[in-house]
Amino acid sequence: MAKEYLGEFEELVLTMVAVLQEDAYGAMISEEIETRQEREVNLSAVHVTLYRLEDKGLIKSTFGGATNERGGRRKRIYTVTNAGFAMLRTMKESRVELWKLIPQLKISGV
Amino acid sequence: MNEVKIPKWTIKFLRFICPDNLIEEIEGDLFERFNKDLKHFGLSKARQRFVWNSIRYLRPGILFRNKLSLDLNQFFMIANYFKVAYRVMFRNKAFSSINILGLAVGMTGALLLFIWIHAEFSYETFHTDKTRIYKIWNRSTENGQINCWDVTPRILARTLSDEFSSVENSVSFANWGSKQLFTVNNTKLLRTTGAYTDSEFLNVFSFPLLKGDVNSSLTEPTSIVLTESFAKQLFGDKEPFGETLSLGESGYNFEFKVTGILKDLPSNTDFKFDYLIPFKFLESLGENDTNWDNNSVSTYVKIKEGTVIDAFNNLVKDIKKKHSHNAQQSEVFLYPLTKMRLYSRFENGVVAGGRIEIIRMLTILGVCLVLIACINFINLSTARSQRRAKEVGVRKVIGAYRSSIILQFLCESVIITLGAGLIALIITYFTLPLFNMLIQQQLTLNIESLKFWLLIIGLIIIVALLAGSYPALYLSSFRPARILKGQVLISASRNFLRNTLVVLQFGFSIMLIVSAIVIYKQISFVQNREVGYDKYNLIYQPLTGDLEKNYLSYKNDLIQNNLALSITKTSTPITERWSSTTEIQWNGKKPEDKFNFERIYIDEHFSSTASLSIIKGRDMNLSKFPSDSTSVLLNESAVKAMNFDDPIGEVIIDNGTEWHVIGVVKDFILTSPYQEVEPLLLMGSKAKWALQYAHIKLNPENSNKATISKLSDLWLKYNPSFPFEYYFVDIEYQRKFANLEKTLTITTIFTSIAIFIACLGLLGLSTYMIEARLKEIGIRKIFGGTVVNITKLLGISSLKPILFGILIFSPLSWLAMNWWLQSFTYRTELSISIFIIAAVSLLAIALITVSIQTIGAANANPIKSLRNE
Repeated sequence: MAKEYLGEFEELVLTMVAVLQEDAYGAMISEEIETRQEREVNLSAVHVTLYRLEDKGLIKSTFGGATNERGGRRKRIYTVTNAGFAMLRTMKESRVELWKLIPQLKISGV
Repeated sequence: MNEVKIPKWTIKFLRFICPDNLIEEIEGDLFERFNKDLKHFGLSKARQRFVWNSIRYLRPGILFRNKLSLDLNQFFMIANYFKVAYRVMFRNKAFSSINILGLAVGMTGALLLFIWIHAEFSYETFHTDKTRIYKIWNRSTENGQINCWDVTPRILARTLSDEFSSVENSVSFANWGSKQLFTVNNTKLLRTTGAYTDSEFLNVFSFPLLKGDVNSSLTEPTSIVLTESFAKQLFGDKEPFGETLSLGESGYNFEFKVTGILKDLPSNTDFKFDYLIPFKFLESLGENDTNWDNNSVSTYVKIKEGTVIDAFNNLVKDIKKKHSHNAQQSEVFLYPLTKMRLYSRFENGVVAGGRIEIIRMLTILGVCLVLIACINFINLSTARSQRRAKEVGVRKVIGAYRSSIILQFLCESVIITLGAGLIALIITYFTLPLFNMLIQQQLTLNIESLKFWLLIIGLIIIVALLAGSYPALYLSSFRPARILKGQVLISASRNFLRNTLVVLQFGFSIMLIVSAIVIYKQISFVQNREVGYDKYNLIYQPLTGDLEKNYLSYKNDLIQNNLALSITKTSTPITERWSSTTEIQWNGKKPEDKFNFERIYIDEHFSSTASLSIIKGRDMNLSKFPSDSTSVLLNESAVKAMNFDDPIGEVIIDNGTEWHVIGVVKDFILTSPYQEVEPLLLMGSKAKWALQYAHIKLNPENSNKATISKLSDLWLKYNPSFPFEYYFVDIEYQRKFANLEKTLTITTIFTSIAIFIACLGLLGLSTYMIEARLKEIGIRKIFGGTVVNITKLLGISSLKPILFGILIFSPLSWLAMNWWLQSFTYRTELSISIFIIAAVSLLAIALITVSIQTIGAANANPIKSLRNE
């Protein structure tokens, strides 16, 4: 089976789902990205990415509670699946592997 | 609740674009965001942001989400279908190969035919102005019949250009086939493949010039345009353009300058020439033909853009009447160039068809071949449906729609057809040269053309649908509950359909066999027709160069050396018609008589040379009767046409000259051996210029080979500057059958293909039938059935539909062949024996096919088939 890859934004959203745990739903994720990463994201982009990750089997969703703020609409809470965690782990490891390969001697020689 | 502060249309808009299962979450998240924004930025800004955020949902990931996910599913299933199809194919190698082979052979046949048909339709389509080019035809009324023919006076082209402003160009074109000797340094070539034409010829037709100028290459009287390959033959590797060459014809020699090199003519044109000479050349010699009654050339016009052809035809039609008193019955009309190839047979003034009839037959043949191959596929797939039934049942239980099962079986047929198509393409590629040789065409596979591949893909799709759709519909109709409970699915209607299809297959085969036999019989019948002269040991030679001058010495040498029994001069070879007339006058001619008389000029002793029998009067003999130079011999048909009781001594007038009849010869075949013998006049030697051929009766005591080598020595002695030429009359006569023999070859090829495919199908069906009845055969044997009994039982049930096919389609083929034979005056009779031969041979082939399987099955040890129970 061909290896699947994640895009940068997909990885970010997936990581956020893992971070936020029970609070991982669309509006919260986009807000967290905005505050923690200080970057503008559009809600629709977050949603589409969530659906794509769900299609790939990296996250799954259940309905959560409705609040007055939401006009009585229920939240959809996302959780990372085992496949999702495996994906996050391999991505991180491969980054670290690559980091190790960067020649670092010049940096300390200032 | 802040919903009221939000524009309603955004909600509607969101609900419209978002899938139903997602809308709740999306709306909720948007509201949550709105409420946060409300605290931070105030109402107007928050509302603005809400609208903007909503609009941002207009993206493919949302819009196509539902549809896309479904397609993706389907795609995965298709991959599965292909996998299953591939496994099924390999599990039943025998059946798959029968299916693929049958389809491949059928498609090869169809492909060859379609390439041919496509080539026929492409004739003359490469001319840039093809829609504006017309050929001039005559239409004249004779004996109440309207005749159409396409040879026109030389003066017509010039007159059309002068008198009508809608004519852009107008050219005469003639290839009379006169022998012309080319001399370039030491190279000497004799050619009959030249044409005379006008300087605008290359403006009208798009034959590309490699060298030279389209407008001026044929303007000088002694200019000549050569095709590339002919120029190479003449000049070798030397640059031919601008060189001079010497061209000799009947004793004269002229210098010509090469003013143009044409690219070799494409194969899809009816123009055939190696070189072009301007008419101006003939005119510079004083041969300015302005006679409106001398129809001797083809005339082509290119009309100006925007000319309405019907209106123009009306203007032009009386041009002959206007200029000639003799042509009051004649009209001319313009006929499109692109229609000349396929639609040029006129009946009573109306287009009645032409080559298109052959094309239609070929199309039917091609379609039938494909159908026969598809029938195999349908029969084998439905016959073996029991084997796939469980699979269908399980798929349905798991949740397959009927449509997806149909799709699955269509996929299978696509795979098989694709394989068959590839094999067909390869076979076509390798057999095309052979096929070209048999049908005498230059067909090519246009591998680089997109159209060709579209044709192939189209053919594959059509075959796949044709062959696959019925089995797919049938297999997908199974009820899962019944199948999985183990009920047997044998239905009488299914067997009936299968048998009907076999009836069709073999019915078509019998029609093809019958037509092949009838064509063969017709050829041999006509070949055995009495020719009327002795065609063996008879040769003719053209009197080229000095041979005419040295004729008497040549003749003496031949007779004295005992090489020839007799020799005579004639105007034409005895196997060809070159001259005919309807203007003969005789005593008692009625004004409405418009018989066409063939003319041959002879000097003397023609009847003894060709062994014609004289039934009245005597042969010409110039030494005894010098006046025989104005005498004429009639054939029996001519006597009948002129209605003479005693023709001897009658005088007939041809173009002002009187000829006296001295004898009558028995009818002999001059033109077509299939038709009545035409009235013929063998006229005396007064027209000395016309006597261009020598007919020589060789001495049969010598071997022909030795005689020919001696003839060649004599030729060298008397006519050294021209290449040695001779033609055996029996071989030339045989050429009259070439067309029909070609038809026979084609019919035989496709008959074999059709029978081969049908038998493949039969083999598959009988294999299946035996497989299904294996236990039955075992039980029969245990109860004492003999091998003969069982073979008979199995054989009869497979041969029954074939017998039906023969019975139903024999009358049809009788009708068809009867219609075909009507086109010949001299024709063989259809007899019942033809049908018996055809039926017996087809049954024999079928029987052999079936018995390969049945005898094996009947001989098998019953223990093997029964031990498992």
